[in-house]
Amino acid sequence: MTTGPKGSEHLIEMRRITKVYPDGTVALRGVDFFVKRGEIHGLLGENGAGKTTLMKILSGLLRPTSGEILVNGRRVSFKSASEALKMGIGMVHQHLALVQVFTVYENIVLGLKAESGTRERIEKLMEETGLRVPLDVKIENLPFGVRQRAEILKMLYRNVDVLILDEPTTNLTPVETDELFETLRRLKDQGKTVIFITHKLREVLEVTDRVTVLRNGKVVGVVETSKATPQQLAKMMVGREVVFTISKPPSEPGPPILEVRDLWVRNDLGEWAVKGVSFTVRAGEIFGIAGVEGNGQSELIQAITGLRRPEKGRVILEGRDVTGFAPSQLYRMGLGHIPEDRQGLGLVLDMNVAENSILGVQRARTFMGRFYNLLWSTIRRHASQIIGRFAVVAPGLDAPVRSLSGGNQQKLVVGRELSKEPKLIVAAQPTRGLDVAATEYIRKLLVEMRTKGKAVLLVSADLDEVLQLSDRMAVMYEGEFMGVARPEELTREQIGMMMGGYKLSRG
Amino acid sequence: MERQKLVEGLYRFAEILVALIAGFAISGIIMWMGGYDPIKAYRAMLGSSILTTDPYNLAMTLSFSAPVMFTAITFAVGVRAGVFNIGAEGQMYIGALGAVIVAAMSLPGPLYLPLAVLLGSGLGALWGAIAGILKAYKGVNEVVSTIMLNWIAFWIVDYTRVDLLPNPKDPSKTVEMPEPGRLPIILRGTELTASIIIAVAVTLLSYYLLWHTVLGYEIRATGMNPRAARYGGINPERAVLWSFIIGGIAAGLAGVCEIAGRPPHYAITTGLSNLFGYGFDGITVSLIGANHPLGIIPAAIFVGGLTAGARGMQIVAGVPLEMVKAVQGVIIIALAVPGLLKLLKTRFTRGGG
Repeated sequence: MTTGPKGSEHLIEMRRITKVYPDGTVALRGVDFFVKRGEIHGLLGENGAGKTTLMKILSGLLRPTSGEILVNGRRVSFKSASEALKMGIGMVHQHLALVQVFTVYENIVLGLKAESGTRERIEKLMEETGLRVPLDVKIENLPFGVRQRAEILKMLYRNVDVLILDEPTTNLTPVETDELFETLRRLKDQGKTVIFITHKLREVLEVTDRVTVLRNGKVVGVVETSKATPQQLAKMMVGREVVFTISKPPSEPGPPILEVRDLWVRNDLGEWAVKGVSFTVRAGEIFGIAGVEGNGQSELIQAITGLRRPEKGRVILEGRDVTGFAPSQLYRMGLGHIPEDRQGLGLVLDMNVAENSILGVQRARTFMGRFYNLLWSTIRRHASQIIGRFAVVAPGLDAPVRSLSGGNQQKLVVGRELSKEPKLIVAAQPTRGLDVAATEYIRKLLVEMRTKGKAVLLVSADLDEVLQLSDRMAVMYEGEFMGVARPEELTREQIGMMMGGYKLSRG
Repeated sequence: MERQKLVEGLYRFAEILVALIAGFAISGIIMWMGGYDPIKAYRAMLGSSILTTDPYNLAMTLSFSAPVMFTAITFAVGVRAGVFNIGAEGQMYIGALGAVIVAAMSLPGPLYLPLAVLLGSGLGALWGAIAGILKAYKGVNEVVSTIMLNWIAFWIVDYTRVDLLPNPKDPSKTVEMPEPGRLPIILRGTELTASIIIAVAVTLLSYYLLWHTVLGYEIRATGMNPRAARYGGINPERAVLWSFIIGGIAAGLAGVCEIAGRPPHYAITTGLSNLFGYGFDGITVSLIGANHPLGIIPAAIFVGGLTAGARGMQIVAGVPLEMVKAVQGVIIIALAVPGLLKLLKTRFTRGGG
């Protein structure tokens, strides 16, 4: 084993790393992160903890605002990913960096000098690592697990010593996950070092040697996996005292408005994203769904709001089966939908404020005349009312929505949806990326709607938001609910466990 | 806000001005190198089309602007829905065929025109809808399908011209639209007929449709962001299909007006020579007019003026036809390029489609 000049046992040392993004977001606040040679090191944390940012810095994709990085005891400063790669550090991203229409072989040798014997060397590498990939098949024709193997192989072929994997199991089937872990162990046996970013407790416990837990841009602790329990890791990951800052009167739930029964939904790749979820949202209550993003929340919302067809199960709105209804029908029946992607889904950015104020209700009798003509004066009055009532700052009704700030865009969406006087409000990530004032404002509105007797389904990756607003909440993990409870009944340990893939056990 | 609009308008105007100057300058150099006097040529061109008080010349300009106004609408409505519908050419042929079919029937006089309009625009819509259905429900690239449909239309129409509806008195064309079915001539001795009135009316109607009806709103929303459109309760596939149908109606009317409203033929001539090209010219007209109906009207008149002015260039300045065509091409390209670049940019930054 080589050791650095200081005689350090660590292959990677990241000291007091701070990262402030240009928009002022502080992602990392003085993180110390050490990795030993030849270990599998877990990097655990929930959304926004700073895991990916830290690893992007290590792999040369981002530059730290301050702090130093030592590899093998020598100080380094990477200006690009290729510099990091030269030092033997390579990262496999969640969205793989492969050319879809190239074969595996072409992807592996992409950017390298053409040499004879390349193919033999790749085949030898596959032999040694057990990473079996068909070399002459195009990437687009391969399942995700195999693509990932190709990406890892590509890194190894570039003589990577430190392999960083960002949430590698997100799109894998259980069998593929097992195979990946097998590969990682074999790589470890061959002396490679692996950094494994995840939020899944079970996986951390299964495959890593040590774990660093990040929370809110800081290191909470480093533990030997063999001595760790899931409870302890869950507590470290979630860790906060739950603060109920929003005052809300006790809920008085009325009749059920939304009922979801044994819903099964596939994602764009045809895999199961929602696996038999059932719940009820009553009038006058906020039902929150927490969980790390990408666990099927988006597909669940899409299935409820008519944007995606469920494979099995029922969606019932006020006692009527609305499974597979089009969005326009659902809106007429009293659905308001604040979508998670306001710029891509909730607004037409190049249309103006007035035009966007009727998106979804353009065929309502109020806005449409007898000859399918738009009643512009009514529409403009409607838009001004939203601007006034929901404090949207806009240069004017004719301003393209693109020119509004993110917070005002969201207020426009929220205002539009609430002004439909819906019975059910589905709010997905309603405060993402907003400043504190706008966040507070929108949260208050949601509580106000609930107190007025509307049913609110809230989905958020921001755990605090779900805890503060919900009357009842569920935690979603890999397409299933890990448990449903009142937020105040749950300990942070239980929430962390659920987010990491353990079903809620009471008592 | 008003100020921003004003600035945008001025910017657009400056853009057109620069493009015009560049186009004229480059063509001028080409003519000069070919040994012709560009100043004389331009004076002849503009003097016999736009910059004139001679009603005959103005009438010719307007008469040539009518067909390209229709076909520009076809392209513009497509662009608004987010598609590249370049099928106006074929839809126009089919529309003209519809008019000729009506012309071949023996009907009471007053029925010819309304029936020709109905059948011509209906067939144009149908032809557009083929590409529309393929695009919306099968994902077939509309550029490819419309080009193919253009040629299918060409040969169908040429076949019927020769074999089904030939003119017994004149083998070079189909049966003529009978006298009562023709559009009235506005200025005696010119080709200017009521076509231009219909063209302007249809253009204004398409403006109303796009900005003042729900269907137009849904078409535009789909073109700008199909995902948001779906979220907004719009069926994007249906909106795209409607854009093809509306475009087909406009192109079909172009064909009908060429049959019912262009002396001296009032028929389809050999090789579709009296129709050929208007569909493609509509694309450039639409691009020059920023794909906006209100921009298309002046753009169509300008392009019509270039066509009308070609004669003046040949007769007065002695510039041969080939050179005239080259000059027209350079000017049109110079004008259309900024719009085309903008369009391609949005199309590719959105990830194509």
